[in-house]
Amino acid sequence: MLVLSRRVGESLQIGDDVVVTVLEVRGDVVRLGIAAPRSVAVNRSELLIQLESSNQAAASPSEQAVAALAAQLRERPTP
Amino acid sequence: MSETAVLDIPVIDIVHPLPGFPEARRFALVQLDDAGVLCALRSLDDPDLRFLVVPPQHFFPDYTPEVSDDVVAELGIDSEHEVLLLVILTAGATLTDTTANLLAPVVVNTRTREAAQVILDDATFPVAAPLLG
Repeated sequence: MLVLSRRVGESLQIGDDVVVTVLEVRGDVVRLGIAAPRSVAVNRSELLIQLESSNQAAASPSEQAVAALAAQLRERPTP
Repeated sequence: MSETAVLDIPVIDIVHPLPGFPEARRFALVQLDDAGVLCALRSLDDPDLRFLVVPPQHFFPDYTPEVSDDVVAELGIDSEHEVLLLVILTAGATLTDTTANLLAPVVVNTRTREAAQVILDDATFPVAAPLLG
C-alpha cells in the first residue's frame, strides 16, 4: 500500500481523472472530496461489503423457497 | 421453454456489475406469478444464478428513493416514466422472514434495457427490510 501525507486542501491524483482532496480533518474524522468520471463508482468500502453479502444471501434461492413465496404472495390480499 | 417464450423475455444489461457478482452482466427479467409481482432476474452468463425481485410499491408504498443525477445520466433516463424500479429479495422460510434490499434498488431504463444496482445516497434505507414490514 502506498502511504502519503497530505494537508487540508491538498489533493492526490489517481490515474488520469480521479482527484481526491482532503477537505477537513476533525479528530479522527477526515472529510474527502472525490472528483471522478461517472464511470468510476465511488462507495464507502463497508457499504459495498454489506451489499456483496446481501446479494450473495439473495442469490439463487431454492425452487421450494420461490414456490412457497409465490404461493404466500398469491394468498396475500392485494394492497 | 419454447423459443418464442425466450424471445419474449426482456434482456437487461447491467452497466455496473452487482456487488459480489462481477461476471454477471446480462439478465432476463422473468415473471414468476400471474400478477406480475414476483419476478426473477435470471443471469444469462451463469445459468444457476438468479435473484428474486419485486416492484417495491406493492410492499413499500412510501418508498420513493431519490436517484442521483449521475445515475440518471449514466442510464440515459429521459423521463421517470421509462424507469422500472425493482428491489432484490432475500427469501426466508416464510413471507415474514423474507427481506428486501431498499438501500440498493435495481434501476432499469425500460427503453434501453440498461440497468444498475444503485446504492442510494440516503444510507438510512435498510439493506434487509422485512417484506411485510
